[in-house]
Amino acid sequence: MWPSDVHPELAQYGSCTLDQDGCTTCGDLAVPVIVLAIEGQEALCEDRCGQRARVALDFLEDVCVGDILLVHLGVALARIQGGNECATSMNSVIRD
Amino acid sequence: MRYVDELRDPRLIRAVAAEIARLADPDRHYRIMEVCGGHTHAIYRHGLVELLPPNVELIHGPGCPVCVLPMGRIDDGLALAEQPNVIFTAFGDMMRVPGRRGTPLEYRARGADIRMVYSPLDALKLAQAHPEKHVVFFAIGFETTAPSTALTLQKAKALGIRNFSVFCNHVLIVPAIRAILDSPDMRLDGFIGPGHVSTVIGCRPYLFVARDYGKPLVVSGFEPLDILQSILMILRQLAEGRAEVENQYSRVVPWDGNRAALAAMAEVFELRPYFEWRGLGFISQSALKISEAYADWDAERQFDVPGVRVTDPKAAQCGEVLKGVLKPPQCKLFGRECTPEHPIGALMVSNEGACAAYYHYVHRLAAAGRDD
Repeated sequence: MWPSDVHPELAQYGSCTLDQDGCTTCGDLAVPVIVLAIEGQEALCEDRCGQRARVALDFLEDVCVGDILLVHLGVALARIQGGNECATSMNSVIRD
Repeated sequence: MRYVDELRDPRLIRAVAAEIARLADPDRHYRIMEVCGGHTHAIYRHGLVELLPPNVELIHGPGCPVCVLPMGRIDDGLALAEQPNVIFTAFGDMMRVPGRRGTPLEYRARGADIRMVYSPLDALKLAQAHPEKHVVFFAIGFETTAPSTALTLQKAKALGIRNFSVFCNHVLIVPAIRAILDSPDMRLDGFIGPGHVSTVIGCRPYLFVARDYGKPLVVSGFEPLDILQSILMILRQLAEGRAEVENQYSRVVPWDGNRAALAAMAEVFELRPYFEWRGLGFISQSALKISEAYADWDAERQFDVPGVRVTDPKAAQCGEVLKGVLKPPQCKLFGRECTPEHPIGALMVSNEGACAAYYHYVHRLAAAGRDD
């Protein structure tokens, strides 16, 4: 967790932020953001550091305020599905 | 389990590493390829190689679009930048990539109107702001980047913006994996599949890896625990005699990908019959071109593109490194003639390249005596 994090929970979906999104050509390091408001086909979103940007929603349906999206080049590509299965299953490794 | 700290928990990481060591057959040498440059960086950044038994070897794959783009395509793009009345736009990552006569930055210093954009949508806005000019966007990237280009062209068509076109260099990861599997000098036991590319294409396109080649593939996240768990899942499959496609990154990657993004790509792009990959040669149906329906926005149709072919420097062994036959420091030029400051080979040019990652996280620290 970074001291400046506004939304630390976003970091588990990637460390990139709206101003530091790794290699743009690669895009395998997309930016996790949280939706603050919906405005037509765009969403006002905030990254884990509190930086905001408008993001195109053309490729996702029924996006709601509070959803976590994965964004690349100003376009939302995925909505986060839910829990952290990796760490949960790793706990079972330890228990075993 | 809500925060990233838990995906970097030393206790969990030690436990998974111990399980990997327990599962790895000491009489066998495992070669597992991480396809994506983002994984390569994470592996070096977090020192994950040090946590693996010596007989579990990670091989760096071709997952960097800048690295695999032949220099001739850079020269073709820069030829467009020199056309009169053209504003040439590209991602920041492309500005340092050399063509035969220099980088886009050097062309700009010589007078070409080359501008850095964050998104193709920004390039389209530039075209709207400059109706007296023609704006060309240098499109590059895998399936994560192609949807934004597709959306931009859909918007250009819908808005009737005619002073905009795309020089398309999008490539596809699945044909590259197949080419690596078909390579006679390659022996791999499994794949760590790309994370965010798979948010778009899903997991189904990888099924042939298990079905036709009998290799496990696990789509993985980018945190240390993600990657270690993916390695563990691959070793489990091998130990149990299974070959399947599994999704370790299910908190982000839907099995079927993003259908709307795939539909936009299908409308805007067509498969090229073949495309040259730096280091891998020509691979059939491995890249995208602009479809007939969007021909008016295709820079290759709107301009006379020279179609330059440039042979890579013979001494650089990028192809062998791209295919995982050699490790970066085994290349004769690595760290001597070829450095991030003065790159000769493609894998040193891009930050995501395997050589740049190795140089940044291993070689430089070792040279400074701080790698232990």
